[in-house]
Amino acid sequence: MTASESAAVTQVYDVLIAAFPGRPTDQAVDNLQQEVLNQMNETDPRGVILDISEVTTLDSFFARVISETAGMVELMGGRAIVVGMRPSVAITAAELGFGLDSVDTARSTDHALLMLGVTVEDADDVAAESESEAATTHDDGDRSGSALSPGGGR
Amino acid sequence: MSEDGKTSDAVDAQVLRSGTIRVRSEDDILRARQEARAVAEEIGFSTTDVTRIVTGVSELARNMHLYAEDGIMTWREIEAGRDSGIELVFDDEGPGIDDIQGVLRAEHSTSGGMGRGIQGTKKLMDAFDLTSNAEDGTTITVRKWQ
Repeated sequence: MTASESAAVTQVYDVLIAAFPGRPTDQAVDNLQQEVLNQMNETDPRGVILDISEVTTLDSFFARVISETAGMVELMGGRAIVVGMRPSVAITAAELGFGLDSVDTARSTDHALLMLGVTVEDADDVAAESESEAATTHDDGDRSGSALSPGGGR
Repeated sequence: MSEDGKTSDAVDAQVLRSGTIRVRSEDDILRARQEARAVAEEIGFSTTDVTRIVTGVSELARNMHLYAEDGIMTWREIEAGRDSGIELVFDDEGPGIDDIQGVLRAEHSTSGGMGRGIQGTKKLMDAFDLTSNAEDGTTITVRKWQ
């Protein structure tokens, strides 16, 4: 198994993003499931995004693992959202007769983050905290509550 | 079902080129998928048809590995009149399938894979032929036309 076939789990704010590799072996798919659950246990995220945008072949085994993983994440108290299904994969999955029943789906990672309640303002807060108070916003459209902007935000 | 299924009952087709992949590990399943994808793309199938074909290959190659451990996938680029297509044969000498009709109909399989995979694959392809018995094992032939 080469590195490109192995799974990647990253954390964005308090959300885990698991990127499924495009052409994995069954073992690689199983490994990613294990990795997601381990990281879930360690980081206690509010949710997990299962990114299948690289996946070009979603067969019944792969679909079952994704459904199962989503179910396990929920048993552990998080919310799982599948994102990025390609049109050809969606057509094939529908014809094969496996919808991802009882799995939440989203069009994009941004959309999934929104569904998980991660807002841009949260993101700005996190960014502001990490930069201490160095930043002064100039964007008139910025409604971030943390900004002491000279324009007098409401 | 029938005795010695070599090719499906479907239209006679001319074989332009062919190749085989021996499937006896998970990595081989991956190899079978990759080879089928490359051939299907070269033949000029649409992205959606390539996905259908490769998904079918994945189901059938996995079943073969799961139940017979060892088997061979043969791919053929075929032509009949103006139509071009692909034929894929999955041949093993495993224990055979007891209840063929059941497997072809089953909405959910007992082993968590087989019935659903075979039945689903049938829907993705244009032609599907299955012969199986305890002596000769199982041969599944599928075709997809462009």
